[in-house]
Amino acid sequence: MKVDFDDSMVEKNKGQRQAVKIAIYVLLSFLVLVYIVPLLWIVMSAMKPNSQFKSAPWSLPTGMEFGNFIFAWTKGHLGNAMFNSFVVSTCTLLISLAVGSMAAFAIAKLRWKMSKLALTYFMIGMMIPIHCVLFSLYTQFARWGLTNSLLGLIIPYVAFSLPITIYIMAGFFESIPNELFEAAVIDGCSVPKLFFTVGLPLAKTGFMVTGLMSFVNNWNELLFAMVFISDDERKTLPVSLTKFVGPHSTNYTQMFAGIVIAVIPTIIVYCIFANQIVEGLTAGAVKG
Amino acid sequence: MDKLLRKKSNIILFLAPAFVIFSAVLIVPIITAFYYSLCDYKLNSAPTFVGLKNYITIFTDDPDMKIAFKNSIFFMIFSIISQLFFGLILAALLTNIKRGRDFFKNVYYLPCVLSSAALGLLWYFVFHPKYGVNKIMENLGMLENANEGTLWLSDTSGFIILPIIVISFVALWQYVGQSMMLYMAQISGISKDIYEAAAIDGCSRTQAFFRITLPLIKPMMATAMSLNAIGSLKFFDLIFSMIPEAMRGKGGKANVIATVIYDQGLRFNKYGYACAVGMVLLLMCLIVTFLINKFVKVESYE
Repeated sequence: MKVDFDDSMVEKNKGQRQAVKIAIYVLLSFLVLVYIVPLLWIVMSAMKPNSQFKSAPWSLPTGMEFGNFIFAWTKGHLGNAMFNSFVVSTCTLLISLAVGSMAAFAIAKLRWKMSKLALTYFMIGMMIPIHCVLFSLYTQFARWGLTNSLLGLIIPYVAFSLPITIYIMAGFFESIPNELFEAAVIDGCSVPKLFFTVGLPLAKTGFMVTGLMSFVNNWNELLFAMVFISDDERKTLPVSLTKFVGPHSTNYTQMFAGIVIAVIPTIIVYCIFANQIVEGLTAGAVKG
Repeated sequence: MDKLLRKKSNIILFLAPAFVIFSAVLIVPIITAFYYSLCDYKLNSAPTFVGLKNYITIFTDDPDMKIAFKNSIFFMIFSIISQLFFGLILAALLTNIKRGRDFFKNVYYLPCVLSSAALGLLWYFVFHPKYGVNKIMENLGMLENANEGTLWLSDTSGFIILPIIVISFVALWQYVGQSMMLYMAQISGISKDIYEAAAIDGCSRTQAFFRITLPLIKPMMATAMSLNAIGSLKFFDLIFSMIPEAMRGKGGKANVIATVIYDQGLRFNKYGYACAVGMVLLLMCLIVTFLINKFVKVESYE
């Protein structure tokens, strides 16, 4: 675009714009501190002996100490809890991706009258707060003997992951041109084969996005995990963490180590896949 | 070709697993939860139908629910307004810079993917009366002794107690990235031509924001606001990890709807009552979503 300004005006505007830009960066950097400092404080404190923390909680640690981490990992049962969380989140991810993408394929690419209605039916799940089904599901699972087992946690997690998985995957299948499928069908491809050889490879990004999202959500879930599992051996990470960290103990630095252990895996996953996660969570929310 | 894709057996094969799991674990339990909510149902006893008794107790005779309604509605209003305000500002700032945009975006979004339970514990220590912010204030000379500072998480005076306010700020810190991201996605979808045309007409950047950007992202505002509203009504993890047990159980002043459900169900085994509270929560979510979409999503321009 071309706009006629006289020279002095351009100069003035330039200077002003520069100043605004600097102000914006100062503000944004300050916010970065607000986000990073609490996290750093916990990491730093986790490396201190407890006595040092109590006398000077905001000072830098004098050395690297990993004793607190070892204590939290073994005595705090966080190692075991992390394993449970990993099993639960991974199984949920695999099942919900498999089942969800099949349903999404049926909705987006197979031809039947009620496909729109089916999508709406699954979308109801996005509006239901899980708290509503918490105890009706709990009493049902208790009758079936499914409480206090990891399977009893995986089943509801799959159900809660399905709406978003189906929604996003249906979007991805929708965007694949029909001609590709038609060509394969003419070559004598059956529908299941169509799904595996044409649909899935082309919706790889969708898998990535939904998979990461469901993994992160289920890794962090607290309420269901707390109600459904009572056995210490089978507790997931957030539950064991809230049990390990609390007012009962005064050994703060060990608790800090526990918190660090709990958030580190997600931070690592986030650093690697930040863009996909962000894209997925946004896509999921923008159901408009 | 068409015949193959219309074949009923294929459709059933692909849809059935998801349909069965989803219906059995989400839709059927919602219906049974509604039935239980009309029952007197406790541990070791079969549900007996009592009509609206649970609902009447919730609205007239449960001091915990009164506090929970007050706190949850405060959370909801605070989070809708604060997230709208800060989410929009962040999105507007970030879409206006080029260098480092992804870095800032990813940092602000980071807490959204971390466990609220873990972050709650982290903030519990930041607001610890002895070692957290009070200690910093002592070091800076603002306080004589950290012990005499504000009891951030256990003060119980006032209509909205201090811990609830502190937690609403922590929630803002944790989730503002989500709103920011939604607004950014929408803003970057607006065509550059509109802004150029406006600039030629002598429109300043601030004017452009209010006259062009805001009206065009209104549909997204409705989405983000409903998400915030539902999220804050469901609020549980942060309260559970930051508030001392005595303040979020029976008679506690920091109860929210979700902590009442947890308490009634798990501690007192009053499943019927817990289900009724859950139904009230569901109803609140639906009403708020409906209202927001009715009043914010007036029209779509594109």
